[in-house]
Amino acid sequence: MATITLAPGAATRRRDDATSPLRHVDLVLLMLPFAISALGLLMIYSSSRTRLGANGVSELYYVQRQGIAIVIGVIAMVVVMLVDYRRLRDLWALAYIAILPLLLGVLVVGASRKGAQAWFDIGPLQFQPSEIAKLSIIVAVAGYCHAHRGDLDAWRLATAVVMAALVIGLVLMQNDLGSAAVLLVCAGAVLVVAGIRPHHLAVLLLLGITAVGAVVVTGTLDDYQIDRLSGFIDQSPDGTASEQTQSEYNLEQSKNAIVAGGLDGEGLFNGTNTKLSYVPEQHTDFIFTVVGEEFGFIGGATVIGLFGLLAWRLWRIALLSSDFFGTLVVMGVLAMFSFQVFENIGMTMGIMPITGLPLPFMSYGGSAIIASFMAIGLALNVHMRRFT
Amino acid sequence: MSDNGRVRVSIVGVVIVALFCALFARLWFLQVGTDAEARVEATTRTTRVVQSEMPRGRILDRNGVELVTNRTSWAITVDRGLPEEERMVVLGQLGELLGVASEELAENFDDVQQSPLKPAVVAFDVAEPIRIAILEHIDSYPGTRVERLTVRQYPGLLANETPLASHLLGYVGEISGDQLAERVDEGYVGGDTIGRSGVERAYEDDLRGEPRRETLEVDPTGSPVGSPVDVEPGHVGHDVYLTIDANWQRAAEESLAQGIEAARTIQNENVVEGYEELKAPAGSVVVLDARDGSVAAMASYPTYDPRAFVDGISQIEWDLLGLPDLHNPLLNRASQGEYDPGSTFKLVSSVAMTRYGIRGAGQWFDDNGHVEIRGTDFQNAGRQALGSVDLTQAISKSSDVYYYTGGFEFWKLWKAGETERGLGMQTVAREFGFGATTGVELDETDGRIPDPDQKRELSYAINEGDAREKNATWFPADQIYMAIGQSVLVSPLQLANAYVSFANGGTLFEPRLGLQVADVDGNVLRTVESTVVRQLEFDPYVRAQMLSGFNGAVQDDSGTASAPFAGFPLDAIPVAGKTGTAQVAGKGDTSLFVGWFPANNPQYIVAAVVEEGGRGAQVAAPIVRRVIEAMNNIDVATPVEVLDEARD
Repeated sequence: MATITLAPGAATRRRDDATSPLRHVDLVLLMLPFAISALGLLMIYSSSRTRLGANGVSELYYVQRQGIAIVIGVIAMVVVMLVDYRRLRDLWALAYIAILPLLLGVLVVGASRKGAQAWFDIGPLQFQPSEIAKLSIIVAVAGYCHAHRGDLDAWRLATAVVMAALVIGLVLMQNDLGSAAVLLVCAGAVLVVAGIRPHHLAVLLLLGITAVGAVVVTGTLDDYQIDRLSGFIDQSPDGTASEQTQSEYNLEQSKNAIVAGGLDGEGLFNGTNTKLSYVPEQHTDFIFTVVGEEFGFIGGATVIGLFGLLAWRLWRIALLSSDFFGTLVVMGVLAMFSFQVFENIGMTMGIMPITGLPLPFMSYGGSAIIASFMAIGLALNVHMRRFT
Repeated sequence: MSDNGRVRVSIVGVVIVALFCALFARLWFLQVGTDAEARVEATTRTTRVVQSEMPRGRILDRNGVELVTNRTSWAITVDRGLPEEERMVVLGQLGELLGVASEELAENFDDVQQSPLKPAVVAFDVAEPIRIAILEHIDSYPGTRVERLTVRQYPGLLANETPLASHLLGYVGEISGDQLAERVDEGYVGGDTIGRSGVERAYEDDLRGEPRRETLEVDPTGSPVGSPVDVEPGHVGHDVYLTIDANWQRAAEESLAQGIEAARTIQNENVVEGYEELKAPAGSVVVLDARDGSVAAMASYPTYDPRAFVDGISQIEWDLLGLPDLHNPLLNRASQGEYDPGSTFKLVSSVAMTRYGIRGAGQWFDDNGHVEIRGTDFQNAGRQALGSVDLTQAISKSSDVYYYTGGFEFWKLWKAGETERGLGMQTVAREFGFGATTGVELDETDGRIPDPDQKRELSYAINEGDAREKNATWFPADQIYMAIGQSVLVSPLQLANAYVSFANGGTLFEPRLGLQVADVDGNVLRTVESTVVRQLEFDPYVRAQMLSGFNGAVQDDSGTASAPFAGFPLDAIPVAGKTGTAQVAGKGDTSLFVGWFPANNPQYIVAAVVEEGGRGAQVAAPIVRRVIEAMNNIDVATPVEVLDEARD
């Protein structure tokens, strides 16, 4: 019998090669999304099972759907890891242009929920392009800055700002204030690292504050958006039900649940506020309150700690990157996660205004899960190719 | 990377470290730095009791066959506090989702049968994909909720797809204001479900169970705080077992329907000019156990579908049930119908005539087909001369003349001042339970026994001026017609129950439907005992003669019910009985038959009454025959065969 030898040469050589990307995968960063997602699934189950059961729907309905999103996310992450990120370096313009029709399209044919028109309904699935836009803006601004490395004069900065502003503007037109803020932070972080000049930064900040002031004064914001902001500013719990706005109520219920957790929590599936569905949107935006109530400070601190670990690994990769583009992209990803974690957990505890931002890897929501895994894939990509 | 780049990356890192520190600090402050107990106490002022009903108990037949159970129905409710504009939008969206017109949902919302205290149910039996759609997009449906309701389910369906035994089972509905006022001490609250008729009402206290009560602490805004401070778990309703046999009930209902439908195809012999068919709009069947008075089956036609009441019956449906053309399907004719019993009443006349010395049981009487009394000619059916008859034959051949003359003798005694003997027939009728409710657990009529006082009262109530006194007089004809069961009013249940006491030797029972009450685990909590109303005394010789007459009516060729029982295995299952044909002013004759088996050791009494159903032997007797066949497991493939003509 003839022996067929599969040409092992290439693979063997690569495995032996000290610079092979596969030998330099950041295993800590790789494990973190899985750990946080697993905890997220448990929390989604805990917060939704009673309500789903009471509505005659399988108690695992959300868990199953989230599980599918995680599987798709992991596949997307692997795909992103396999393609050398430096090819994106030259294709940044494509990444930018591709997102524009999606953002425009959702304004025309998108489905409206929670006041925001940010979803495509595809049969039983919903797709939220603003989640992908976060990655797109990071790659685009990083690519543009890298192309004009170290020399962001006024004209180039203005180009980068207009590029970012166009995407942010489209997301704002969807009434998705939270995602717009994330995009702003991502673009800002990349520009800061890329070498924006301090006086330019000062001018941009002034312009930004003026713009926000103008928006509030001219009433471009919807009532509920103002509610959310004012509810955050005035947190005294003395209002009666009728005077209380929805946002104030949400915030109070959310804080109550976290306070009820105490040091060690009420125990898994034992959170009273959680079981009775007192906290609105608990399996999505307010998922942290489940951790807070059922696992207490110990659980909450662990979750924040896991995100802290994630941030540290990303920051480390930014420093280790073999090229400046990699640094910029990973810093963008770091800014994206850090801001979302701070904003999301902060709002459940009343130190940030309420926006519809998900907690990465934990909140129920497919588009965010997939985009988050892809972002981690980008960072892993940069890390594993730092010697090639 | 340039040094400048490193500095910038580090600056961003420092900012992020600061953000995470802020989160830790805030979390520590909220969870460890706050005295949670104190906070909850500070906001808690009052408690509120929230009560939720437990599923009602089941209703089963004597063998444990389920007649009424529960099922889960997922409903969509809409908050009544929602502003009308918003409600219209929500109903429009729901309509689109459900694929029905939003007007239909609006109608359900405004349905007066629904509780104004609870969110309005706009859709029932909502499928899971729709429930998910609502749940996922709950913000698009303000004030909308998916609720799990427990509704009554009827496992046994008749051939016409309506549930078995709907009249005696009754239906449930929301407690009315009056009922609530009456029962508020028993823990009922507005919006609760309560049995509105039939067994559902009679055994309400057993079927209802004990509602779950949660005492919740509420903050000043009325929102609950923390877990309930007290929970009374309550318990599900108890199961009620009936004396009914589901198979016999089915046979009774289906035989009745078949008999009535067949009756509508035969000629009404009373119509001399032209050809007309029997109308037979309605009827009933009662099967009683002669040994203890329990109800083995009870049917009423036309029937209704209690499932229409499950989701709160709409006004339109309710109005439809009241249409004259539908002949009041909600009426349980077995206990609420009032009929002249015709010759079946000769049970009473026979006992009275012998007891009060009008005519002895062995005394022969010459029946030449008619008799003239005070210028009025009283006739047998078809003026048929039956010749020399004794009590036995007067019953088996149904001689009217025999009883006309007996009735006249009573009248003469009364006229002569011998009131006690003269009204002896009325006394015997009351002893048999006529003129009074039987005590069954259902709505029932007490019927009517005519007598001089009652006639006077009636005349004064309905007439004016001279007519009052003129129509108040107790004429011979009053007593004469009463002797053959005209102008008496009885319910089919009363009639069957009277025969029970004759058949078992004199014990008059309160008929009952309840057998026992058991908890959800099947432990029997109580047994419903038979109640004896009174003991009747029969002269053994008279009773033997009468029994022989009832035997002859079915078993002898000359008997009035021999034709409808032709071909029936009387040797194996001897049947006795009595036909009745009652004339009704302005309507067709009422067809009646009371039969029992085994003839000389009666176990079950089966009575059938069909309105405008022709002669007793034509329609009622064939129905009874079919029921008896079913009770004895005799399979007959053909529908009930009514007779084109009959002599009784």
